[in-house]
Amino acid sequence: MSSGNLISFRNVSVSYWQNNVGIHSIKDLVTQRRNPFQSKPILRDISFDVSRGQSMGVLGRNGSGKSTLLRTIAGLVKPQEGTITINGTFAPILAIGAGLELELNGYENMELLLSLYGKSRKDTNAVRNIVDFSELSDEVLRMPAKRYSSGMLARLAFSISIANDADILIIDEVLAVGDQGFQAKCMDKIFQIKADGKTILFVSHAPAEVLKVCDTAILLDGGKLIAQGTAKDICAQYEQLF
Amino acid sequence: MQNISRIYALSKRNIILRYKNSLVGFFWGFFKPLLYLMIFIAVFSKIPSNHIDNYILYVTSGLIFWFFFSNVTNQSVGSIIGSSGLIKSLNIPVIFFPLSEIIGELFNFVLTIVVFLIIMYWFGISYSPRLLMIIPCLLLFSLFSFGVTIFLSSINVFFRDVGILWTTIQPAIFYLTPIGYDEKFVPTIIARGNPIYYFIKLGRGIFHEPQLPPLDLWMQCTAIAVGTFLFGIFVFNKLKNQFISTI
Repeated sequence: MSSGNLISFRNVSVSYWQNNVGIHSIKDLVTQRRNPFQSKPILRDISFDVSRGQSMGVLGRNGSGKSTLLRTIAGLVKPQEGTITINGTFAPILAIGAGLELELNGYENMELLLSLYGKSRKDTNAVRNIVDFSELSDEVLRMPAKRYSSGMLARLAFSISIANDADILIIDEVLAVGDQGFQAKCMDKIFQIKADGKTILFVSHAPAEVLKVCDTAILLDGGKLIAQGTAKDICAQYEQLF
Repeated sequence: MQNISRIYALSKRNIILRYKNSLVGFFWGFFKPLLYLMIFIAVFSKIPSNHIDNYILYVTSGLIFWFFFSNVTNQSVGSIIGSSGLIKSLNIPVIFFPLSEIIGELFNFVLTIVVFLIIMYWFGISYSPRLLMIIPCLLLFSLFSFGVTIFLSSINVFFRDVGILWTTIQPAIFYLTPIGYDEKFVPTIIARGNPIYYFIKLGRGIFHEPQLPPLDLWMQCTAIAVGTFLFGIFVFNKLKNQFISTI
């Protein structure tokens, strides 16, 4: 592949099945005798490009389709229309509560997730890096993840996710729950990843953070891409939405 | 290769999670068939017309196959919903989740069958190379169970009461399958319409009957297994793109 675009979206539309009549049981399905599922468009006609080494912010109100867009980029959601071209590998999406198995302890989670990313599960180096970065004590890492606070979960998830040397890192508002020290550490790490020439897709409701991390940005509203451009311009437009 | 290590990791997770908070862990797998065996001995072996040679071997070999099927389906009916965190953050094929459940259960089954083969020494099992036919039999039964599993777990994403419904109707299927009693106690038409009947008959035949199961039973089981598997895959493929919006 040429050094051109890492991610390329052309006229991509995604819709979800939505259950408008509140049918969640077969009894209702049988008695209502109509299709409970309607197709609801979530993303409409989205086109943009991200070139290698560029970091892009995704801004928009709650429910504007940001998370769905990230999932579509990562290949978790298949579009109904349009074409997507990806020329890189992904680290798992970093979102609040995603990816960790709450019944397993910290070490077991590391092993599971490292294997799922396709890394060797005997990679003790990766495990040591995760432990170091997360700053979680051995005692904490031996507890089931369900007993972690949301900040501890974010530490573990972030630390595992960056242990991956993928081309594209997707961060969906996960930094908000860490404490100030950890947030600063994550920011440093993000800058370092960026300096290594990797691409970061960054969702945040804090334009200041987007400005720090991203070169370009897109603004979503009601599933449509209403603006794209430099991070500075888009952040200004985002603030005018409210 | 990468996918194999992924399936391995998920299967290992399932085995860890299954026994994580229990004291005797793996041995629960033996208590259930043992309890049913005792019930069958207490109730059905007293019926004079239910005379079966090597009754304990007959019942136990049926029970271990039944519980394989029952455990697989019960555990994996929620396997897609239960992995929503992973499905929402990692691009790995969703089918790996039910698949890893069945692999975890196969691991269990192999341990069970080793213990079973040892204990059945005192109950009339004859050791011979033909016991190896258990391997193709188990592969067919797994294929069938996998078909049922992916069907149930994908429907369960949209209708959460599939799981409850399934556990509710299971005793009916169990008693309509001749496991603790002779085939003549189940009306022929019901037995013939019950796919599990064929697999139990096949598996039990290998352990209990003097001859290997006839070829036409193998053919029937193959047809049922392949048909169920294809049906399950068909339903799964129809629904899989909408899992993420619903879980």
